[in-house]
Amino acid sequence: MSLKRAARLYIVGFIFIVLNFYPSKNLFSADVGNCLLCHKYPGLSRIDEQGKMKLLYVNEDIFNISVHLKVKCEGCHTDIKKIPHDPVNKVDCLVECHIVEPSSEQKFSHKDVDNYVKKSVHAALDKYGMPKKFKEDLPTCKNCHDEPLYRPLSFFKQVRPGISEAALGRCRVCHKKEDFIIRFYNHVTTRLHRTRNPINIAEVCARCHDDPLLVERHNLGTRAVFSYGETFHGKAARFLDERVPDCLDCHVNTGESVHQMLSHKDSAAITYRENKYLACSNIECHPGTSQQFASYKVHAEFNLDQSPVQYYFTLFFIILTGGTLLPLMAIIFLDLIRRLFPDAVIPRRR
Amino acid sequence: MATSSETLVTTAGNAQADSDYMHYVEGVGHVPRDIYKHVLSDPLGDLPRYSIHIVIQHFLIFITFITLAATGLPLHFGDLFWAPIILAPLGGPDSARIIHRISAGIMIVAALYHFITIAIGTYSKLKKHKFNLLHSQIPTLKDLNDIKHDIRYFLGKEQYRPKMGKFMYKQKLHYLAIIWGTFVMIVAGSTLLFPEAMAKFWPNPEFAQDLARLMHADEAIMASAVVVFWHWSNVHLVPGRFPLQWTFLTGRITREHQIEEHFLEYIDKLKDDPKEKEYLISVLKEKGYKTEGGEV
Repeated sequence: MSLKRAARLYIVGFIFIVLNFYPSKNLFSADVGNCLLCHKYPGLSRIDEQGKMKLLYVNEDIFNISVHLKVKCEGCHTDIKKIPHDPVNKVDCLVECHIVEPSSEQKFSHKDVDNYVKKSVHAALDKYGMPKKFKEDLPTCKNCHDEPLYRPLSFFKQVRPGISEAALGRCRVCHKKEDFIIRFYNHVTTRLHRTRNPINIAEVCARCHDDPLLVERHNLGTRAVFSYGETFHGKAARFLDERVPDCLDCHVNTGESVHQMLSHKDSAAITYRENKYLACSNIECHPGTSQQFASYKVHAEFNLDQSPVQYYFTLFFIILTGGTLLPLMAIIFLDLIRRLFPDAVIPRRR
Repeated sequence: MATSSETLVTTAGNAQADSDYMHYVEGVGHVPRDIYKHVLSDPLGDLPRYSIHIVIQHFLIFITFITLAATGLPLHFGDLFWAPIILAPLGGPDSARIIHRISAGIMIVAALYHFITIAIGTYSKLKKHKFNLLHSQIPTLKDLNDIKHDIRYFLGKEQYRPKMGKFMYKQKLHYLAIIWGTFVMIVAGSTLLFPEAMAKFWPNPEFAQDLARLMHADEAIMASAVVVFWHWSNVHLVPGRFPLQWTFLTGRITREHQIEEHFLEYIDKLKDDPKEKEYLISVLKEKGYKTEGGEV
């Protein structure tokens, strides 16, 4: 082999190596265990011992922009010790993952969130530590968080969804790593505004709160999202209006975690009858509002048991509409027949 | 078993003897009830019926009613498939809401304008001793008899339609419905539009708000149904009026229509209208009826 030919091969080989192993700008994956080697295949699945099919495919594109992007697979799947691995246990969201919470420099876990939930109306145990009735109906993390929506905020010149290049330019002054800049930007901005619109929030709550059997089991009084949809707020939410309150705006005490939602029977809750006006009079809603205003129903379901007067009032209007329209229509019909057949007569029986 | 001899169709000959069939008018003679079948009519209207004020008021109510229904119903039934289709050309729910409120304001102005017109007109007539209950919108016992009579006519059990005044039972029913509906919609709409002010106004704000929610939507559905299936059918769609009765724009009614459904109004106005008298005499003569001017 000539020197020239060897040099040419060396250059081609160098380019091949660089192109294959130099990490792309968008590759932030924490897949250090190379789990996607198997899990990137869409058909990867198995039938478990209960006969249920488990889809084991991980969409790499989605995973790479997810909130758990920096968490190693083993961070949540702690029982995996070898590759190939045995069937894994269900993920425990309270496990300590490898991320360090920067203000306390402690290993991060969702335990604090769980503590909030334990104090809320959604806790599985009551205040005496006893399991609540129908505790299987109460939500776990993934009941609400299975569809995290991602909508970063752009607030240069105008508020619009998306990433603001102008803001990123400011970040780049001090921070050098592009993946860190994007990730930190998303982390902060997604917490500065709503990442779901009110109807999305309501749809999440509706999975349980509009289930008639669950409503009956827990004596909740109303199908919450249905009755929300009957009000001005709910109707505007259906048109994707983001200025109207969703479930969380009214059911979470101001400044507290959404995980610490209290029952409306709890005097500490903002939804407690005497406190409701505090939610309504929020500076962003109806500032300076009165107790009378707060008495308006924000869940309007007029059934016979709870609102007999309203129920019969509705019935009255239905009867009035039918009772007015049908005789009038009958007159129009007879008039029409007479005009079309002016000489027609009803034969008499002898 | 039915026979052809039992039909109730009256011939011109024996009808002359029917006092209900013939109506005497001084200077004209006996006018048969069904003369409307033989008169000439201009579709744009032959005889005056409504003043320019009423025409303007009806026009305002008509336009605002359509606009209120077109914006309000899709806003209320926003989860139904047709709602976004209607709202899109209106600029979406936000602009539909604004259009709805502006239309409501115009409708209130039109209602007040109508109330003032009627109040002044009635006062003026009372002062001149010209007020005639028969030609007013006030329901009377005669209207009940007219309904009964008309239904019997439609069923072929009466030979002719009842003799009715300026406003027949259909119009009186509709007018009452409009008064009720406008009142309900204004009160309920105001309660919904000004929730904070109304919370201080109503003695039981929670209950008032509930009723307002129900009434505003239910009354809107009822009013829309009555206007489409009753008013438009009666006024524009029945044979003889189709495709459009122009009275709401010209303020004039066709001769045929007035004699058929507002016979007493026609007779009443005939007394002061020599030209119309002359025309009617010519028609009567042409059809072989006796007139004050002698038989042809």
